[in-house]
Amino acid sequence: MTNRRFAPAFSGNDQASLTRRLQAIDFAIQDTVLYLDAYPDDADALDYYRSLIEARAGLLAARSKEMPLTVYDNTGTDWDWVKAPWPWQPEAN
Amino acid sequence: MWTYDRKLQYPVKIKTPNHNLASIIISQLGGPDGELAASMRYLNQRYSMPYGEVTGILTDVGTEELAHLEMVGAILYQLTRDLSPDEIAGTPFATYFVDHTVGVYPVSASGQKARVTYDNIIRLCDDPDVLDPIRYLREREIVHYQRFGDALRIATDHMNEKNFYAINPSYDQ
Ligand SMILES: [Fe+2]
Repeated sequence: MTNRRFAPAFSGNDQASLTRRLQAIDFAIQDTVLYLDAYPDDADALDYYRSLIEARAGLLAARSKEMPLTVYDNTGTDWDWVKAPWPWQPEAN
Repeated sequence: MWTYDRKLQYPVKIKTPNHNLASIIISQLGGPDGELAASMRYLNQRYSMPYGEVTGILTDVGTEELAHLEMVGAILYQLTRDLSPDEIAGTPFATYFVDHTVGVYPVSASGQKARVTYDNIIRLCDDPDVLDPIRYLREREIVHYQRFGDALRIATDHMNEKNFYAINPSYDQ
């Protein structure tokens, strides 16, 4: 793994777009995490991981305003956590 | 400890319900080689694993399998979402429909079974270092059971609204 850079494939700031953007970057992170589990000394992979985490932070904040990702992200004035759509519903995808 | 992400790992958006397809896919949910079995296998293999890298992989893959489980669930849900009981009757999916759409009682009951299992463990266990976390887990089952009780109450409150399966009088005349 050498000098990879994450190229976002999606744009948009509505809830569905933000979800899609988060899914994309989280998939990159998941794949990198599994790689790092197996190759924890790979400095390039670790750099890539750090760049992904940095890119994710802004995305998470934006998505959390529409719909919390985890119970730690319900930043709005309402308890949005229980509001539709749920992840398995077509409307959320 | 796990935290739920309120998103699928990969989008599932199925336009056309298809119960025959669902009946084929369902084995990937709880079947012997399904996502649930995979997740449990990896996560349970971790504890005696001497190598950190492998422990990490088992942890992270086992966790990801839970995301896959949810995706399979989403697929099955979307494949069967608009089917009427008449359309499902006589298909291979009928038994699953019977098992999984009766409401919150079965879920609640499985929590009770887990609690009884903890009771048995507590009877057989005399190591306080083990009993302490076991009692904690048993307490959590009781709390879950209480929350399922709340869920049942909420469900009952909605019983007269459309499309509620448990004992909706419009279905069970
Ligand atoms: Fe899987």
